[in-house]
Amino acid sequence: MSRILASLFGEKEARILVLGLDNAGKTTILYRLQVGEVVSTIPTIGFNVETVQYNNIKFQVWDLGGQTSIRPYWRCYFPNTQAVIYVVDSSDTERLSTAKEEFHAILEEEELKDAVILIYANKQDLPGALDDAAITEALSLHKIKSRQWAIFKTSAVKGEGLYEGLDWLSNTLKGRGR
Amino acid sequence: MFSLLYGLWKYLFSKAEFHVLILGIDKAGKTTLLEKLKTLYSEIEGLPPDRIVPTVGLNIGRAEAYKAKLIFWDLGGQLGLRTIWEKYFEEAHAVIYVVDAACQSRFEDTKSALEKVLRHEDLHDAPFLIFANKQDLQEAFSADELANYLDLKELNDRPNLFQSISAFDGSGIRDGISWLVEAMRKSKRTEMLRHRADAVVVA
Repeated sequence: MSRILASLFGEKEARILVLGLDNAGKTTILYRLQVGEVVSTIPTIGFNVETVQYNNIKFQVWDLGGQTSIRPYWRCYFPNTQAVIYVVDSSDTERLSTAKEEFHAILEEEELKDAVILIYANKQDLPGALDDAAITEALSLHKIKSRQWAIFKTSAVKGEGLYEGLDWLSNTLKGRGR
Repeated sequence: MFSLLYGLWKYLFSKAEFHVLILGIDKAGKTTLLEKLKTLYSEIEGLPPDRIVPTVGLNIGRAEAYKAKLIFWDLGGQLGLRTIWEKYFEEAHAVIYVVDAACQSRFEDTKSALEKVLRHEDLHDAPFLIFANKQDLQEAFSADELANYLDLKELNDRPNLFQSISAFDGSGIRDGISWLVEAMRKSKRTEMLRHRADAVVVA
């Protein structure tokens, strides 16, 4: 399965950030993709970043929301980021507005302005999960006008939708002549 | 003073920039068209048709044609996703509406989706280029036949053109785009959008 990933992204160095609120399913997605050992680091600044190196692609994961004091440290992870995978718990309707605010705050980061955006509307296996159109609305995705984005319904626990999203991502990155 | 001069310089020497929305129901060939437009009008080689997956979001293409900068917004056409189309209307200079001219069974769906777009006030005066796509297929309706079939009165009060194309092999696209650029240059809407942008800068 992980061989697919190798062919998806070609030879160049790439950083892909996997972001979202806590409990959105980010780490489960990485395990599902079987890209390698997920290494958890808790540095002294108290900001937990999980990193998976897969060939030339570095996936890095952390939770948005919460403490604002550590946010400046996020910027260390922004340079050379080709894509942001934003993971949403589609069944957690109470926190969708927080998910939206955090999402748009990240989009405004100067060093991420060329990154393409892939949204996983995750936890589609749970009852009451909103579909892709509803999540599009809830996150105000239409406000993104200067870069490419796509949304996919996923279930990380069932492994559904993840590769469709990555397929889009690799096509899009190749289409930009990278 | 600097900003005044800069504004003047920009006005005189910068190429006009136009936002063009690519709309149409799912499977019409919008993204195939976008990729072909990239191949025809930019440095980037567009994706081949067999690598294209259904769009569930926004694809963007940048191109230069007939001394204009064109930014294409290609939006997904599946029923649930059509609700986001209108969020992009306000900033669009023109619309390319893509129809699978070889799929008569969906002409009613394509017509009602197009009618909705035409009636939306955020697209007032916008030129419409309607591509009768998939002319590489034998059963495809020509642009004229499609225009007769759709019979849309709402088109009459704005610049419009029906053009036969094949996004697959590229035929007909250049004729359409050269008309569109000219139509946008002359359009009342372009002037309106420019005034609005200027007003924002001043404010």
